[in-house]
Amino acid sequence: MTSQPLPVSPVRIKPRLRGWKSLLTHQAFRRFVQLGFATFILVVTLQHVLVGESSGNVTASPEAYCPFGGLETLYQYITSGGSFISRTHLSNVVVLVAVLVTAFLFRSAFCGWVCPLGFIQDLVSGFSAFLRRRFSFLRKAVNALKKHGARLAFLDRYLRLLKYAVLAWAVIGAGVYGVMVFRDYDPWSALINIAKFSFTPGIVVLGVTLVASLFIERPWCRYACPLGAASGLMGKLSPMYLKREADACKVCKVCTKACPMGLPVHAATTITSADCICCLECVCACPREGVLEVKMGIPLVGQK
Amino acid sequence: MRINPFVFGITVLAVFLGVILSFQAAGVWSVSGKTTSDGAVQPSVEDVSTIKGWMTLEQISTVYNVPLSEIVAQFSLPADTPVSAAIKDLESDTFSAEELRAWLESRMAPVESGAAGVPTPQDTPIPAALPTEHVAPEKTITGKTTFQDLLDWNVSEETIRQIIGGDLPAMTTLIKDYAVQNGLEFSTLKTALQSEVDKTR
Repeated sequence: MTSQPLPVSPVRIKPRLRGWKSLLTHQAFRRFVQLGFATFILVVTLQHVLVGESSGNVTASPEAYCPFGGLETLYQYITSGGSFISRTHLSNVVVLVAVLVTAFLFRSAFCGWVCPLGFIQDLVSGFSAFLRRRFSFLRKAVNALKKHGARLAFLDRYLRLLKYAVLAWAVIGAGVYGVMVFRDYDPWSALINIAKFSFTPGIVVLGVTLVASLFIERPWCRYACPLGAASGLMGKLSPMYLKREADACKVCKVCTKACPMGLPVHAATTITSADCICCLECVCACPREGVLEVKMGIPLVGQK
Repeated sequence: MRINPFVFGITVLAVFLGVILSFQAAGVWSVSGKTTSDGAVQPSVEDVSTIKGWMTLEQISTVYNVPLSEIVAQFSLPADTPVSAAIKDLESDTFSAEELRAWLESRMAPVESGAAGVPTPQDTPIPAALPTEHVAPEKTITGKTTFQDLLDWNVSEETIRQIIGGDLPAMTTLIKDYAVQNGLEFSTLKTALQSEVDKTR
């Protein structure tokens, strides 16, 4: 008697959406949300620049909505009983609380769904991908560059630790000196204050970030963002995680290629990395139904 | 438990905005140092560290009772500096909020004791109940002066009407508030009224 292979439950291939139906994906929804927050910050910035504050008007600075400002001023706010370091307000602390609550429940979903600086990096990377599709010489040049740069890939895991050092420096520095020591180096601060035409190291960091985004997705988020570091650490306590069904997966690596944070999704069964921004690009990219899914389980122990 | 990606996104949005809106609804929200839940922020007479870059020279002049011309001369500011200019907009090598704070602090500090015949703090202990609020010289118009004060200082109603160019408001109205409400420059009004007060001395 010959042994018959056990029947494997068939895995459906996701239907390919075309035309307006392609806008009905959760990724289109995510882009819409990102665009909404970026537009809000743009309006606040323009209002602050055009209306100004020299008269009795109160036009909020876009910096008033930065959650990292809340983290920098938190020590002073607690120890002084309610005062803030310069250029921060109560709104910074409130937005920080919102980011941390979001991270506690949904990991770093703030980075993937809300953060305007992340969105700008996504736009630059998207533009770069468009150019590479359009012009073959660019595609070849970038591929050659990536091939040569592959030998430096081992640096990636060490460089990702840099953001924790930036987080410690910015928070401890603000606590000790009572000023935002990170502000002059912050690309986000440089961007929203660009109308002041003041040259700061942050302008250089912003330029490097945008140029790097042409070759690597979300370079600032991967290596240097202190808010992402804080959110990632808090996210370790989140019940949300991504699950890859190894039995049904064909290891096509589409998920890994889609991940803007460069995580090896195809090689993991559960994705609980502090670097995961829960953008769900990998879930959308996976061609098979139910192979890669968002799941909920007990943090640290029940996510298998 | 499996979560639909759409539900995930909507819940992220709801939680993030929900937390912020909850704080706002509870009154725990401020996007500017200019206002708090208690109202507009003003520099404190007792504490120069409350001076912020967005505050105007007019505010400083009024609250600390320093003539604008003295501030302009001290920091070599242009003679045509508008009183409504914010401190941060006038910053230069010789002028900044920090410089202004330091100067006002030294200006407000008591004259050094120790000269012959002058009692030292050890000789005359300060009474515990001594008022700490800065008191302007007698019959000097400040931001706290009301129209009733002007009448008390023997300035006639007719004279006040001519200067303000209208009817008198409620007697308890601060002159500064009247100027702001009617789009008048407080410093101009103050100078004109002060000259009338000086005539009555």
